Amino acid sequence: MSSEIIEQALFALLTVGIIGAAAGVVFLNRITGAALLMAFTFFCMAGMFLLLGAETIAAFQVLIYVGAITVLILYGVMFTPQGDRDYRLFFQTQTPWAALFVVPIAIFVFVTALFAFRDSGNAGALGSDLGPLATSVFRDYAFPFEVASVLLLAAMIGAIVLVKRDED
Amino acid sequence: MPPGPFGMDPAIWAVLRLVVAVALAAGLVFNGALAQIYLERKIQAIIQDRTGPMHTGPYGLLQTFADAIKLLGKEDIRARLTDHWFFLAAPSIVFAPMLASYVVIPFAPGVVGADLNIGLLYLTTLGSMTVLGIVLAGWASNNKYSLIGGLRSAGQLISYEVPQILSLVTVVLVVGSLSMVKIVDSQQGFLINFLILPLAFTTYFIAGLAETNRVPFDLPEAESELVAGFLTEYSGMRWGLFFVAEYGEVTVVCSIVAALFFGGWHGPLVDVHPLIGPILGVLWFTLKTYFFVLVFMWVRATLPRFRIDQLMSFCWLMLIPLTLLNLLVTAILLLVFPDNILPVAIANWVMLGGFAFSVPFLQRRRLASLRARLAARAAA
Repeated sequence: MSSEIIEQALFALLTVGIIGAAAGVVFLNRITGAALLMAFTFFCMAGMFLLLGAETIAAFQVLIYVGAITVLILYGVMFTPQGDRDYRLFFQTQTPWAALFVVPIAIFVFVTALFAFRDSGNAGALGSDLGPLATSVFRDYAFPFEVASVLLLAAMIGAIVLVKRDED
Repeated sequence: MPPGPFGMDPAIWAVLRLVVAVALAAGLVFNGALAQIYLERKIQAIIQDRTGPMHTGPYGLLQTFADAIKLLGKEDIRARLTDHWFFLAAPSIVFAPMLASYVVIPFAPGVVGADLNIGLLYLTTLGSMTVLGIVLAGWASNNKYSLIGGLRSAGQLISYEVPQILSLVTVVLVVGSLSMVKIVDSQQGFLINFLILPLAFTTYFIAGLAETNRVPFDLPEAESELVAGFLTEYSGMRWGLFFVAEYGEVTVVCSIVAALFFGGWHGPLVDVHPLIGPILGVLWFTLKTYFFVLVFMWVRATLPRFRIDQLMSFCWLMLIPLTLLNLLVTAILLLVFPDNILPVAIANWVMLGGFAFSVPFLQRRRLASLRARLAARAAA
């Protein structure tokens, strides 16, 4: 048993986890279950990042998505009325049209993935990705990073203004 | 994969190592919880002028063992309208990340599960995961007190994560590494990080109290308001798992304090012998950690509980601006004086002094505004 086999087995497990949990999020009737499965999807994604040697991104993935975003979503769920939802909410009348668009795109993505990434080789040695991450965010892409944060700030202020207007 | 001892197959050794490590961590957590419950009872008894547990064993030492056995033997009660799977999963979701934290805690030179180069980030990540379990426990119990406890905990833990991480980042800036072992190694001799960054220590300690749901931040399980908060519907060993997780969390926070601010395993006679050194290192580290565990208990016996609005305003109006200012000042001073740590230390002590002296004035202003509001209400 070599480490390559273990790596592939882990990859397979994580893939099953991601796709299965993501399908559960879409199809599950119970909204708290969907929220928890979403956390599980994020967790498996963090495992993928770990397999790729990007441990810092994996840690941030868990810190932000599992620890904060999911809790906020659960918080929102607890304030919304509960009850079984009709399955027609998921499969609406535009399903055939949606299928018409989605199937070609899915085939395209699948074929591209099959051919493009065949010889992409190893994603890099396992080790510190902290330095490269820091230099790329704060030096090479500092301007886009700042623009994105300003955008998020504007969105947050907008949300607060909208809520406050309703209160008055 | 590293080869095993006695010519063992590496694949078998990898699995065996995992089993041994998890068993060790679990043993540490459970025994630590037993010891801490006994300590907590005794210390509160001393502070409240009582004797505490006395009858089971010498000095009541066996009382917590008896309680643990009682918990294990209790009937597993689950109300009919609880959310089955979430109700069962919540204690594990709280317990597992706490157990996983022990991987990176540096007990002594060479005695550490894994020297991750993102060790500190890993610890905060795991700390943030417990919120999910507590919110789920509150939700799945199908009980209004549990739900309020869960919601309070979500608000509290997410808010206090911000000052917690910001104060840790200050330490990382000064040391220049996220690895726990490197952080401890950087504090040889008497120049521990506490002397350089006392304000970061203070804010981290306060945020750590809040992160572990300890008094004065135990609003999610406030007995006098919410029965037992998110714990209301739990009983037997499921409840015990929450309890053990809380004490394990306290130990993790205290060991972070010991490693980051008080030099971890460093102490007298650690470097004398390669065999005795690690043993002494574990001893010093444990003593430092348990000193802060004792401070946690002292705080618990001394301070009254926060109100929810005080809790939030203290975090967002006081701690977060303070930690942001601390981070900014430290970063600027480190850029201006790259080779000299003294300006950072002076600025930090000055800010800590300002913080300590401003609290009474703020408190007085707050009281005055409260009285004015009450008087206005009485007049109306």
